Amino acid sequence: MPRQQIAWHRQKARQPHERAMNDPAKLVTPNNAYDDLQHRTLSGIPCDLARLIYLASTRDYNSGVYHHEGLFARYGSESTRVALRAAHKDIFYRLIALSLEELVNELGIYVRISREAPAGFIHAWQELEPYRVAVPMEVDSTMVQLFQSNIRLALEVLRFRQEHSQAYPSASSLQPLLGR
Amino acid sequence: MMSTAIFVALGILLVLVLLLIAKRKEVEEREGERAAAPAQCECRDNLQRPELVLRIFSREDKEFVLQMRSPRLQRMYKEERRRVALHWVRKTSREVSMIMRTHRLISRLSRNLDAVAEAKLLWQYLELRFICGLLVLFIEIFGPHALHDLASYAGELSQLIGRTLPDAAAANRVAPSEGPATP
Repeated sequence: MPRQQIAWHRQKARQPHERAMNDPAKLVTPNNAYDDLQHRTLSGIPCDLARLIYLASTRDYNSGVYHHEGLFARYGSESTRVALRAAHKDIFYRLIALSLEELVNELGIYVRISREAPAGFIHAWQELEPYRVAVPMEVDSTMVQLFQSNIRLALEVLRFRQEHSQAYPSASSLQPLLGR
Repeated sequence: MMSTAIFVALGILLVLVLLLIAKRKEVEEREGERAAAPAQCECRDNLQRPELVLRIFSREDKEFVLQMRSPRLQRMYKEERRRVALHWVRKTSREVSMIMRTHRLISRLSRNLDAVAEAKLLWQYLELRFICGLLVLFIEIFGPHALHDLASYAGELSQLIGRTLPDAAAANRVAPSEGPATP
């Protein structure tokens, strides 16, 4: 699934560039906005969950339109939007394909890089459910349900591990608090 | 004869009650979905995804949760997976119904209908609806892993029988020869 989806979205992301290439006034190399985003921005983010949150944050809450100043300056508004949308979907599909254990590890990394206290982070995510707005638009509703359900479970696993490590401090030295 | 009829009637009644419960939950879920994500589009390219189904019914995830040894987490996992599995079954059923409705509208305008093909299509549609109904019942009653668990149990039983049978056959062969010796 993810590979086919990625291929499909990449193809979609290329279309505006291909149109631009036919326009002599605006020569843009195919893939540029997408690849630029992947190599310069997303590769610097340590995990897919953080990438998803980042990409969702580039989307306007009211209009659902993606914005990125750097990409916009280089590739124009349409290419930027298509690239951001495609990357957002790709990462979402990658996260959906993870097993629950892998997602728990992913969330563990995200908690660590957030530099928040794990207990506070878990509590805030369970209460506010910010991951609900991190979902791309126009994706299968079962996927959305599965993603949200898996995040809820992963949060509960982290909470359980944290409580367990507090109850049995000696065991926590053997098993890391968050993820492996 | 009378008791069989009573049992059958009770069975049908139970199925009807469960279907009503399932239908009610479906309506609640649909309303919840509308409130939560009004702009979500049911894309056609996402219609069938075997990988998605495998993820929903994943044994790996179940075993991971079991390893945690937390009853609360296990309950939560069961409930979460049940919800997603039911969503998937109902969505599949709805989508196929929509396709059939469109097909029916187009068929009304068609002048050269292939009756055999139409009958075959109707049969497949009814079969799918029946399977979806069964899946909803199974998931509601036994949980999303019930079918897999049942299949595994049947496999284990067949292996057990397979292992037991040679012994039984050997015992049967031995028994007549030992028979006269016993008092």
